[in-house]
Amino acid sequence: MRYGVPEAEFLDCGTLGCQGCAATLSMRLVLKEIGDDAIAVVPACCWSIIDGPWPVHSLKIPVFHTAFETAAVVAAGIKAAKVRQGRDTTVIAWAGDGGTFDIGLQALSGAAERNEDIIYVCYDNEAYMNTGIQRSSATPEGTWTTTTPDEHPEPRPKKDIMGIMAAHRIPYAATATTAYPDDLARKVQAAMAAKGGMRFLHVLSACPPGWKLPADQAIEAMRRAVECKVFPLFEIRDGREYTITHWPDDEVSLEDYLSLQGRFAPIMNDPDLRETVRRGIDERWAWLVEQHEREDRVVEAPVG
Amino acid sequence: MSPLDHVDDYPEIPISLASTATALKTGGWRSVRPVLTDRTAPCSASCPAGVPIPTYLHLITAGRLEDAFEVFTAHNPFPRLTGRVCPHTCQDACNLAVTTDDGPVSIRSIERWLGDASAHLPHRRPHAPTGQRIAVVGSGPAGMAAAYYLARSGHDVTVFERRQLPGGMLRHAIPDYRLPAEVVDAEVARLEAMGIEFRIGVTVGDDPSLDDLEAQYAAMFIATGASLERPVGIEGEDLLTPGLAFLEAVSRGEAVAPGARCAVVGGGNTAMDVARVLRRHGAAVTVLYRRTADEMPAIREEYLRAVEDGVEFAWLTLPRAVNRVAGGLAVTVEAMRLGEPDDSGRRRPEPTGSTRAVSFDVVFSAVGEVANHEIFPERLIGADGWLVTGTAGTTSDPHLHAGGDLVTGPATVIAAIAAGRAAAQSIDAELGFADRWPVDRPEEVVASGEVNPIRRIRRLPASDPRSAIHAPLAEETLTLAAAAVLAEIERCLSCGHCNECGTCFVFCPDGAIAWEAGPVIDLDYCKGCGICVTECPGRALVLVNERDLVNA
Amino acid sequence: MPERLLLTGNHAAAYGAMLSRAEVISAYPITPQTMIVELLSELTASGKLNATFMTVESEHSAMAACIGAAAAGSRTYTATSGQGLALMHEMLHWAVGARLPIVLTNVSRAMAPGWSIWSDQTDILSQRDIGWITLFAESVQEAQDFIIWAYRVAEQVHLPAMVGMDAFILSHTAEPLIVHDQAAVDAYLPRFEPLYDLDPADPRAYGGLVNRDHYFELRYKIFEAMDRARHLVVEAGEEFGEVLGRRYTPVEQYLLDDAEYVIVSAGALTSNVRQAVKDLRERGVKVGLLRLVMFRPFPIAEMRSLLSGRRKVAVLDRNMSPGHSGVFAEEIRATLAGIPDAPPIYGYVVGLGGRDVRVETVVEVFEDLVARDEPETALYVGVKGLPIGPLRVPEGVIR
Repeated sequence: MRYGVPEAEFLDCGTLGCQGCAATLSMRLVLKEIGDDAIAVVPACCWSIIDGPWPVHSLKIPVFHTAFETAAVVAAGIKAAKVRQGRDTTVIAWAGDGGTFDIGLQALSGAAERNEDIIYVCYDNEAYMNTGIQRSSATPEGTWTTTTPDEHPEPRPKKDIMGIMAAHRIPYAATATTAYPDDLARKVQAAMAAKGGMRFLHVLSACPPGWKLPADQAIEAMRRAVECKVFPLFEIRDGREYTITHWPDDEVSLEDYLSLQGRFAPIMNDPDLRETVRRGIDERWAWLVEQHEREDRVVEAPVG
Repeated sequence: MSPLDHVDDYPEIPISLASTATALKTGGWRSVRPVLTDRTAPCSASCPAGVPIPTYLHLITAGRLEDAFEVFTAHNPFPRLTGRVCPHTCQDACNLAVTTDDGPVSIRSIERWLGDASAHLPHRRPHAPTGQRIAVVGSGPAGMAAAYYLARSGHDVTVFERRQLPGGMLRHAIPDYRLPAEVVDAEVARLEAMGIEFRIGVTVGDDPSLDDLEAQYAAMFIATGASLERPVGIEGEDLLTPGLAFLEAVSRGEAVAPGARCAVVGGGNTAMDVARVLRRHGAAVTVLYRRTADEMPAIREEYLRAVEDGVEFAWLTLPRAVNRVAGGLAVTVEAMRLGEPDDSGRRRPEPTGSTRAVSFDVVFSAVGEVANHEIFPERLIGADGWLVTGTAGTTSDPHLHAGGDLVTGPATVIAAIAAGRAAAQSIDAELGFADRWPVDRPEEVVASGEVNPIRRIRRLPASDPRSAIHAPLAEETLTLAAAAVLAEIERCLSCGHCNECGTCFVFCPDGAIAWEAGPVIDLDYCKGCGICVTECPGRALVLVNERDLVNA
Repeated sequence: MPERLLLTGNHAAAYGAMLSRAEVISAYPITPQTMIVELLSELTASGKLNATFMTVESEHSAMAACIGAAAAGSRTYTATSGQGLALMHEMLHWAVGARLPIVLTNVSRAMAPGWSIWSDQTDILSQRDIGWITLFAESVQEAQDFIIWAYRVAEQVHLPAMVGMDAFILSHTAEPLIVHDQAAVDAYLPRFEPLYDLDPADPRAYGGLVNRDHYFELRYKIFEAMDRARHLVVEAGEEFGEVLGRRYTPVEQYLLDDAEYVIVSAGALTSNVRQAVKDLRERGVKVGLLRLVMFRPFPIAEMRSLLSGRRKVAVLDRNMSPGHSGVFAEEIRATLAGIPDAPPIYGYVVGLGGRDVRVETVVEVFEDLVARDEPETALYVGVKGLPIGPLRVPEGVIR
């Protein structure tokens, strides 16, 4: 095999993800790196369903289902108990963008501020998909959702969750997506190595129904998001040291990315809006490159 | 797990009791399913001999040299030869070249490496002897190939060769700097080690005659090539030096002292070989060709090498007369222009009326060759003066097959090899040994629109390194090292053939693909999302409609 | 060695959690609970209590943290009040459904707006229908002891338990109490043995999607567990007496045997009721006190046996369910419906928002009880400008 992806599976077949669901793939690939001495906490999100209805379960690790707002803090509670049992079990909060950017933001901020020893993974499909594709604060500007229809698409830019996590000065935060499996694997390993404090992974996760995307194009859509700089791949250590981990080669234009997904029809149909979106992407990328190039904020990286 | 029919069956706390795999057969969601196929890559489809290229490349990567050699030689016994001189239409058809700017996989370089690395392997004779005697006339690539396949099938093969050394154009035309004589010798030796008998210096036609052979052998394959040089058809023809004869003399080791200024009339492979031999021996060489580079029939690579060597080209230049003058030869040439396309599809050269004289020491002619049909009865010859043959070289004489340049006129080594193979298979069919041949490859070719080059190794093609030795006839290139070959194979998208890259395994969201040296798709759970098919670099996985499978 | 100390109710609660060897404590400060968490922080920091203290950022998170820790095998404790308990509401449900024996002390205070930090039972009774075992403490001793008692029962039935304490009256009042010997408490309260503690060696999903085929049965388990709690509370209360020297029961009877009139009350205001009953008895009135200690599970049998045959019963509710009546009165009426010799139940709404319920007030209530013919739906005590009585009939409405 040409990928450094371990063969052992920690996800059984029979999960209820839609065809082409990158949320399922994200869990599958992340768990390959973490292994089975782990517990996942899943708040209300697609994974509440994907894991299978009671009494069946798909993962080879325990999953504690919890209320929408609480992934980060329940994970912290579980970790506290396991530490008291003398166990080094990795506790993962596994939440969607709703349970991270919006209703779960308080608990996430609290856990990050306290530097809880958990790995928080936000699989971000950029809307409340589980309840039927309603907008979240992770929905990019100009996007169609069921609560931001084509006539009035999402008016606000995507919330900068990585900036929020950087402000909390947690040891390790990174963006990743399953279209780049080796990059994702490295970042999970880096997160594992940075244990002792809060680790945050922001994983872009294609949703074929919600993105109005053919199921077989799921990986390609995520790849294009990275290549046209809509979703840069980078790491932040201690909230200060930025490292871009993938440098796109400019072969994918913004239109290449947008045209693949029906949810971006409003942007494709409105040149002014597209320019606004493009400007935002370019500014953000330029800023990130600046952060990457700074030499005055270097942090000693944990081995991983 | 108990059936949960009674409240007492339930656990006290809401913890799960079983895996989703026991209960949720999500395969029922599917309307299409991925199927692993083994289809033909465009490189293989374009190869006249049908070599299954991604298959043998994969075997090389897997470290299975003998298996790679076996797969290759089932279609072309001579990778050492074609790995040096083939015009590689495979590379032109390569989907990587079509879909990216990276250029093709350097298939010929890989093939050359395979040939050299397996040079020590004897040719196998896996089938029981048949007791049948087959005659092959002509020991060029067509005859050598036919002899190989017939011997492999178990027949007793005798190859008749009129010249003193076997190999045909391989030895007597293609110069050593492209194809060293030692390599030709080694290939012939390997054929002899198989038990093939070479009768050198025997001209079929007189003694023995074709009838003699017909009486003594169960079948015959005639592949005597096309080495009768066409005249240029101008005044002073006798002052021209025939190019092919010149190359033959060079191959016999005769000294080359051509004079300071040489001209070569023609634009084909013979013209290029002559021009480059002369140039490499220090002459100033000008090729006179009546059309332009775009129309010349020579292999493009040979033209480019000639340019590199310093051969000059006079395009749209047609010799009208040659006269001896003091100090050499004066050639009257007329400037041509290109008009409408002729039968060959190339734009026809039209005279402009503008002439001039050019001086040379020697002028070589290389304007094409025809075959010698004297030994054949009239009834086998067609109106155009060439043998009438069907597919696989059959003639109206059931015991007589023909192939190679004899049938087609000057062509390529690989075309000759393919003809020899096809004839051998046809002969085996006639003699009742069709079952000794493998089943033909599937016809369906992987189109360029199907492949996914996104995750390719982004590197320019490797090329055979140039030799540091610059003697005029020393081999001008070297074989790639094994590491470079493996790196080059990494670039291949492996169209239509699973090369175990693991892409499908990595990207299946449901973990429904198990990995056992290749994907094993669990149809109980595969939802038919199609990601594995879309991401498969070479489209070895295809989507098939479930409806079609039910109706099949 | 047991110690006799003078502590506020809040500090006694902290001691209760400490003696119970709570392992993970997660709480958010809110007046008037703050001293519970402050003392627990000190006890944890000094090592006197071997616990992990999580200073979470809200009550919702406090309960969520306890849920996580309990699910993973730790004994957990939290405390809150009023708005904080209300904010926890969603997660209180989660604790029940996930069958986690978390113990919570609620310092009952009025719900805003307007802001009121003073004693009121509405907050805790708003959590009535969730499935938490609920006890009401009257004294500083009980503020400590009921926590231990709650763990003993909760961990056997795998349901959470809350102990109500009145804001300020109990939380900030110092009384002498016996702080039990740790070894004795250890003998009474064994290690927490969870049914499942999220062990990676046995990977299960816990609390996932439950369709219509299964929810009822899983709920039924909870109902049965709550029902088992009924006798386990009694058993554990007896054991408390045997091991720790104080016997607790689901209801407390005071001068009840020959009482014609009964006053029912819960929580710290009962102390004044007790005094009022004592005073009334000295005047020759046959009145008794029935203190409601265990509210969930509701002590149905005790209520029926102790109230049937009485002449009249007054129930004091420092709470009110708008549109009906005080919750205790409602529950008692429902319990006695159809029981032979069921007495009329007069429900008195008193002391909302921390308004004092003095001994005199209780006596006034009693006098109203005796004088009034009809029990009405609810009788409001001490509303400015109004006598004890039901809601006024709106003009033009014919009842």
